[in-house]
Amino acid sequence: MNMLRVWPIVCQFGVGALLCIIGIWCGLRGGYLNLKIAEDRRFVVILVAGFLLMLAIVCIFTFLAPYWANGEPL
Amino acid sequence: MIAQAIGGNLDYAVMLCYFIAVLGFGLYFGRYTTTTKDFFFGGQRFSWWLISFSCVATVVGSYSFIKYSTVGFKHGICSTQSYLNDWFWMPILVLVWIPIIYYMKIQSIPEYLEVRFDKKTRIAATFIILLYLIGYIGINLITLGRTLHMLLGWQVMTGAVITAVAVGLYVYIGGQTAVIMTDLVQGIILLIAGLGLFAAAIYHFGGFGEFWSLLPQEHKYAFSDFNAPPKFSFVGIYVQDGLANTGALMLMHQGFIMRFLSLKSVKDSRRMVVCWILVLAPLAAIATSCGGWIARALVNNGELTTEASDSFVKAAHFLCSPGIFGFVLAALTAALMSTADTLVNAVSAIFVNDIWRPYVKPGSSDKHYLRVARITSLCAAGLGLALVPIFMKDTIYGAHSMFTAAVTPPVLTAIFLGIIWKRYTPAAAFVTIAGGAVLIGLSFIWPDALVGPFDFGMGPDSYKFMRALFGLLAAGTLGVSVTWFTKPKPEAKLKGLVAGTQIDAMRKFKGCQPNLKPGGKVRLQTKLDKSLAGKNVVIVSQPALDKMAAELGDLLYASHIRWWYGGLRSVHVKAGPPAGSDQSELILISPEDAATAHFTEGQQVVVEKIM
Repeated sequence: MNMLRVWPIVCQFGVGALLCIIGIWCGLRGGYLNLKIAEDRRFVVILVAGFLLMLAIVCIFTFLAPYWANGEPL
Repeated sequence: MIAQAIGGNLDYAVMLCYFIAVLGFGLYFGRYTTTTKDFFFGGQRFSWWLISFSCVATVVGSYSFIKYSTVGFKHGICSTQSYLNDWFWMPILVLVWIPIIYYMKIQSIPEYLEVRFDKKTRIAATFIILLYLIGYIGINLITLGRTLHMLLGWQVMTGAVITAVAVGLYVYIGGQTAVIMTDLVQGIILLIAGLGLFAAAIYHFGGFGEFWSLLPQEHKYAFSDFNAPPKFSFVGIYVQDGLANTGALMLMHQGFIMRFLSLKSVKDSRRMVVCWILVLAPLAAIATSCGGWIARALVNNGELTTEASDSFVKAAHFLCSPGIFGFVLAALTAALMSTADTLVNAVSAIFVNDIWRPYVKPGSSDKHYLRVARITSLCAAGLGLALVPIFMKDTIYGAHSMFTAAVTPPVLTAIFLGIIWKRYTPAAAFVTIAGGAVLIGLSFIWPDALVGPFDFGMGPDSYKFMRALFGLLAAGTLGVSVTWFTKPKPEAKLKGLVAGTQIDAMRKFKGCQPNLKPGGKVRLQTKLDKSLAGKNVVIVSQPALDKMAAELGDLLYASHIRWWYGGLRSVHVKAGPPAGSDQSELILISPEDAATAHFTEGQQVVVEKIM
């Protein structure tokens, strides 16, 4: 595996996760983001789902899609 | 660059019609602007989807189609990586920054810096941000002038003048409402044009697989290599665009702050951001970059010869019939106008709120400030235009880029630390901004010594990008260090201004304890009641209040039943004492509130509780 292709994913989604955690923690402090309220829970789920969706797309276009039409092994 | 004009008379006719339509559209919305609140924040009444589209139109600048297609031609689909960083900033934006500025009724970034820190920080930020924005208008105008020169053969100045006049005029008359409504149209047009071009290319090649097989393998990766090539490495693009620029866009761009404040409620910001960042931004990334990918595939298929910088125009010209090509050119123009109008409106807001109102003529009527705001809009467009001949000299254009790189990280760092860290002190904020800018300035004199240690082995070619990392670290280190040796503001003075005190901000906004119980919407019929004049109160029945989970004094939002107005016909009011059971289907509203919302007697409206 070419690590020069892996480090960007680790860096972007690692720092990204840190920023997300800071944001959620700042929301939870003081009760502005209240996980007892369904709407707030839904928002956190969407946030996590969006993060994972983007991670999945990036992984597809790093580990699978470049090889689709070339017939080369992963 | 292409020297002669491309396209035919039909293309020019389509472009001209587009220009006239946008101008007319913007001017039409002038009638919705009667106060400074309307002029700067569109009356704070718009729906999330409207703001989402307008944000996309603003993000996609005049240079986007050309720049990202050029990168797409050279490096492939990793040209989209600049658009894929926004999601990570979303929690801080939606859960901290928007609630603070919206509920504390902050009108500009410098104003926040004064209430959070002190006056000298506000003054420093005011001048830095004004210079940054006016320079940005100039850069946008020159970029469009050069694009029109390439497409139509016009002089650069001619294209810049025509665009500046059009933008200045509709912002002058319509303010933020005109900006949002025209940006909606322009956002749709640029997405249709870009994605339509991509669809046409897939059809031309006979399917996605055929198109994909024509791209070199190294063009099929989501990211470029971690630290290669130096001028387009992942880490360089990430720190400059993903951290500094995206952070600045979310937290310190006055134009976006005003757009967020145009929402009807803070709750809507969540939907707005999800739609903008998760749906529309990726589409915009494809729309702006695909010209380069298509051109590369056409070149590899032996159908086209082009240079990277011409790839978008040449690919569009190859695939589009006359008239359609004009529509694509109109999308290019749309991308410029939708960015420039936001900047013009933002300059006006900062000048009025941070210079004119506090220092030149305090205590004047709102009508006076509205007049000043309108005149400032024209002046901002004029100042941007005056910079075009200066920016034509590449060294000064480059100098402005350096200036932008120097001011963005320190101001961004000051705001970021200011909203998440109560201990962060006023003295530290000032040192972060001033000291950070000085250190970045020194990095232009001694780049190897200051930026070199952060270049990940890429050398001087990467300094343009890696300076952002140096700037963020330098400003952050200064801010944190000074904080430990200086005295913070008392906690009581920080209520509503930092993370953890958003509920206090809500309390201040409403004037009493916020009602957070979830409720539904009710459909009612208006009845004008003169006895409610001047109270900004409406009377609805108890069952209606129960359905909305609203109580006496809660903030309500009444809007036209047609959702696609996007809040254009709406008003914020307070719930008065409940009406009798014989008026269960009615909403009693004062004539002036009805006029603000463009409601008529007996009209069906939708009412919901905001807070």
